[in-house]
Amino acid sequence: MSDRQVVFENVSKFYGEVLGVNRVSLAIPPGITGLVGPNGSGKTTLMNLMVGLLRPSRGRISVLGMDPRRPEELFKHVGYSTQYDAFPPGLTGSQFIRTYLRVHGYTAAEAETLTWKALERVGLTEAAGRKVAGYSKGMRQRVKLAQAISHQPSVLVLDEPLNGLDPMARSEVINLFRELADGGLHVIVSSHILHEVDLISDQVVLIHGGYVIAEGDIANVRDEMEEEHPAQVSIRCDRPSLLASQVFALDSVMEARIDDDGKGVLVRTRDADRFHLLLNQVVLENGLAVEAVAPADADVNAVYQYLIGSNGEKS
Amino acid sequence: MSETAYLASPGPAAPAATGLPWRRWASQAGAVIRLDLRKGFRRPVLLLVLAAVPVFIALMRVLFSAHAVHDTADVAEGTNFYAWMYQVLILRLELFLVGVAVFGNLIRREVLDRTLHYYFLSPIRRELLVAAKYLTGVLVTFTLFGLSTVISFALAYLPHDWTAVSHFVFHGPGLHQLASYLLVTFLACVGYGAVFLALGFFFKSPAVPALGMFGWESIHFLLPPLLKQFSVIHYLQSLCPVPISEGPLAVLSDAPAPWVSVAGLIALAVVLVAVSGWRIRRMEISYDES
Repeated sequence: MSDRQVVFENVSKFYGEVLGVNRVSLAIPPGITGLVGPNGSGKTTLMNLMVGLLRPSRGRISVLGMDPRRPEELFKHVGYSTQYDAFPPGLTGSQFIRTYLRVHGYTAAEAETLTWKALERVGLTEAAGRKVAGYSKGMRQRVKLAQAISHQPSVLVLDEPLNGLDPMARSEVINLFRELADGGLHVIVSSHILHEVDLISDQVVLIHGGYVIAEGDIANVRDEMEEEHPAQVSIRCDRPSLLASQVFALDSVMEARIDDDGKGVLVRTRDADRFHLLLNQVVLENGLAVEAVAPADADVNAVYQYLIGSNGEKS
Repeated sequence: MSETAYLASPGPAAPAATGLPWRRWASQAGAVIRLDLRKGFRRPVLLLVLAAVPVFIALMRVLFSAHAVHDTADVAEGTNFYAWMYQVLILRLELFLVGVAVFGNLIRREVLDRTLHYYFLSPIRRELLVAAKYLTGVLVTFTLFGLSTVISFALAYLPHDWTAVSHFVFHGPGLHQLASYLLVTFLACVGYGAVFLALGFFFKSPAVPALGMFGWESIHFLLPPLLKQFSVIHYLQSLCPVPISEGPLAVLSDAPAPWVSVAGLIALAVVLVAVSGWRIRRMEISYDES
């Protein structure tokens, strides 16, 4: 099973006396995994450990069964787009990718084919002949991404890959991640922008202060917190006062509050599944016209805030 | 192109071979050398200036030969001039400085430019990477200073009578001397290169160990015979075809046999490159701290 996963076993990394990450145990399956946390939380350390740029002070890491201390094997199967915004001087976009493919051991013809394939994937063929030094921030992000996918890896590790991309490019890149993940790849993406990760991830790893504070499907993580943090459901409808009075009578509802604009109700419940079933009955029995029903705090942002607490401490 | 198609045609897999993949290693080393030549030595101004200095001095001697050369028929004058210039300027100063500047920065420059990770994120053995970068350094420095050696050697005899020079070169020791100087230049690039490559892994700045080693190499003529053996210049100097006086304070010692000097310097280089390989295998990248 670990041959299909990226596994951290009780991994710690210290920079002298400074904590990088501590006692991290994870098993990352295929699909898109979001590493989420504020700047300095340990996301980049975790990624650098994963690819062997750093060595763990304690613990063991394996990537699809491979040891990150053996780059000659690992990087046949792993691509990594780092946060470092630096490039070898004097190279054009296509030369940059082609050159490192030659370092991989590909022949000139193979490297040429793979280079253009990768550039096409990130929509950078027209700028391929220009010097990377003259690229915009977004183009530099894309050429790094192209370099990371150029040898068609099974595991793609991307550190803040959406930084600097305009909305159009962001959307295209997110679609690319989805396509790659649907093809069976591990796509591991870090971001400090929580809602961004929410949009693209199949599972998340929440990191704070070097500790993994939660991992898994975000909905499941949220469900596990229901006792301490009741779920909030937002219902937009034509008669919110009536709806509020009806749902407040339900056992599972703790609070029902009419929205400030008077066009909806915010419900707090300890049993969201049961509440949704009963809500259907209430709506049908009272002939309410419901515009939208949506969880109000089931996103990564809310979960993260609940986990670290308002003062930033892990709860 | 659909994703399925993209994944279904994963391109040419990096070759898998039984036994040691020598062809793959050769191909990867070639790629590293080409890339390093392209980005690391795009504008080797310092190297060109250093390589040009002996040529310039020899050229000045040609231009002012009326004052600088006493007897144009006496090629020994040219031989002595070149022996001094080679051993004092080229060997002790320039090739040493080149070792520091080129080899001490082979890895350090990549760290400062924040580009080392691109190599580290490729499926190349790090030992091979360091060996390929070392070879690039040797290739560049020997090409430049080998040329400088040949041109300045030729210019040293230009003010002299052509018949005497022709006899010296083709019937005397001229060609042998030139070959010896070229060998010493090559071994200096190899030896100093390996020393400063390795020191680059133990010191953040190559300047500190370079100063220490420069002092050690400079006073080597004062050292007792046993300690002389721990300096690179001792072996290089022993291969120089024309000895020069080191002054009245010099401690005399037997020069090592040529084969000992050649084999010793190559063995030293192999060991130090291996040490560098061992260090780079354990190297972590943390540019912020660097």
